[in-house]
Amino acid sequence: MATIDITNLRKEFGDDGEQIVAVDDVNLEIEDGEFLVFVGPSGCGKTTTLRCVAGLEDVTDGSIEFDGNDVTDQRARDRDVAMVFQNYALYPHMTVRKNIGFPLRLSTKQSTEAINERVEEVAEMLGIEELLGDQPKELSGGQQQRVALGRAIIRDPEVFLMDEPLSNLDAKLRSTMRTELQELQSELGVTTCYVTHDQTEAMAMGDRIAVLNEGELQQVGTASDVYRSPTNEFVAGFIGSPSINTFTAEVEGATLHGPGGFEYTFDDPSVLEGHDRIRVGIRPEDMRLDADGGMPGLVTVVEEMGNENFLYATMGEIDLTARVESKMHPDEGMSVDFGFDEEDIYLFDIDTQQSVKTKTSETDVDYRQFVAND
Amino acid sequence: MRSEERNEALWKFGSYIFLLTIVVLVMIPLYWMIVAATIPQSEFFTWPPRLLPGFEWFSNFQALQENVDFVRSMGNSIIISVSYTALSLVLCSMAGFAFAKYEFRFKEPLFYFILATLVLPIQLLIIPLFLLITQLGWTNSYLAVILPWAANPLGIFLMRQNMKAIPDSLLESARMDGATEFQLYYKIALPTMLPSLAALSIILFLNQWQAFLYPLVVLQDPQMYTIPLALADLVGAQRVYFDQIMVATSLAVTPIFVVFLTMQQYFIKGILSGSVKQ
Repeated sequence: MATIDITNLRKEFGDDGEQIVAVDDVNLEIEDGEFLVFVGPSGCGKTTTLRCVAGLEDVTDGSIEFDGNDVTDQRARDRDVAMVFQNYALYPHMTVRKNIGFPLRLSTKQSTEAINERVEEVAEMLGIEELLGDQPKELSGGQQQRVALGRAIIRDPEVFLMDEPLSNLDAKLRSTMRTELQELQSELGVTTCYVTHDQTEAMAMGDRIAVLNEGELQQVGTASDVYRSPTNEFVAGFIGSPSINTFTAEVEGATLHGPGGFEYTFDDPSVLEGHDRIRVGIRPEDMRLDADGGMPGLVTVVEEMGNENFLYATMGEIDLTARVESKMHPDEGMSVDFGFDEEDIYLFDIDTQQSVKTKTSETDVDYRQFVAND
Repeated sequence: MRSEERNEALWKFGSYIFLLTIVVLVMIPLYWMIVAATIPQSEFFTWPPRLLPGFEWFSNFQALQENVDFVRSMGNSIIISVSYTALSLVLCSMAGFAFAKYEFRFKEPLFYFILATLVLPIQLLIIPLFLLITQLGWTNSYLAVILPWAANPLGIFLMRQNMKAIPDSLLESARMDGATEFQLYYKIALPTMLPSLAALSIILFLNQWQAFLYPLVVLQDPQMYTIPLALADLVGAQRVYFDQIMVATSLAVTPIFVVFLTMQQYFIKGILSGSVKQ
């Protein structure tokens, strides 16, 4: 188990003529035993960052330390990290037993019997002991995933690295494996870096989430932090499903005037000081149908999800999404008003996209009130 | 519908007749070779020709052996072809792996330079090679025939094309597991390339087995002759030993048949496997 310190990490690709900066000045400290998730859109640098930590990419600038030891220039095989790849990378000519035991055969002088014993131990942990004699091509996606995990676990590494390991699975299996991975990581207590482009997966799995965009680290925090207190409009828009509704509004004293007749007056206008125009964000789940809401919309599509409805509407030229109770079912083409609370409004600087105001309501609940009394 | 079915049946019938004709035309020389190897030379040019094999194979073989020590020539051919194939497989697979999976300066120009050597006719290379072999003192040796052609450009090209299909993540995974670069080649790349290696081994073996011009230049001692050279000795200025030639040829093609029949499935797979991007 190890802490990971990433300092001023920079990675460039390309020849002298044309350089592409894949990772730009990333600084991050990962605690011992922490499950940190890198999330961001395609091409944001999350996989490149992971590969730099793995030693599969040379670093252009900056350093990487494991427990205070500089591993920046160490080869991948010397770093005591194990990696699970998106396509599992199982050796096609080896059985499951040999796949899982391969790292031990290479890196230790253990006898075949000792290696087999360890392989069986790991296989039992993952529920694949009956597959040990099979070839990878005979396995389902979930089984291949477990074999790849087994090959990573057997080495008892200091760090686990996982590059979108669930992206090739169907939705149901992905959900099951997500839980299993979390349980496994919790049981083993190994420092884990996990890459995904799925923000739902990131929110569900990580102790902390590192959001990247265009090679730059946008924010690191718990799921609650990045959801409730995004540092900028990008993080607010990337985290949350459906995405946050955003539009530009004119500031007139304490009142915001937006497209399509939007109008809202703040009880506490201090947050608007110094801004003539500002970016406004409201999450779909914070919107409700309210005749005095101040947010007019023309309903275009209603999606019934069973437990809730998604309302798609337009407000002037702006498209809105609202998440309402399943009993709320306005007709398509109907004009409605949406309401929301001031504490749920996000405000972003129009020039820098940095957050001016985020959610301010209390979140912590005293869970002891739910413990049954004998 | 009925006329469509009839047309299809006619088309099939015509195709089979055509293919059967081709097969017969291809098989006639081979069959004649077997017949000719088992009859005395006096019966070669009779009319009508002998259609059924005779019983003279062993006496023809005896005469062949006394004439050119064919057993020795066959041994030379087997030693040279097998050694050459093994060495060339190692060199071509290593070079192919390097070109496919590593980045280094002048990689592309070097690869195309190697490919360009394919256009050079052997006649251009024989004299300089002969001079080099003589200076090294390798004339009349197995080394003279094996080494100059061991790094085969076609083999390097085939291996490079096939190894490009190995996913990079497979090799990276092996690196993470602790494999050295040589172990990546030996434990991961080679085992996944067995069909391609089998296909290449057939090509290399055949090339060396039937090589004539270059061995003729560097092997002057009849004791070092390969099968093609020994066969050439049977064609004299005044007499051609057809019966012995046929016996020798029937023996010479047997290993080729065996090799190809046992490995033909890999041959097809190997030739095509690098042709489609994964």
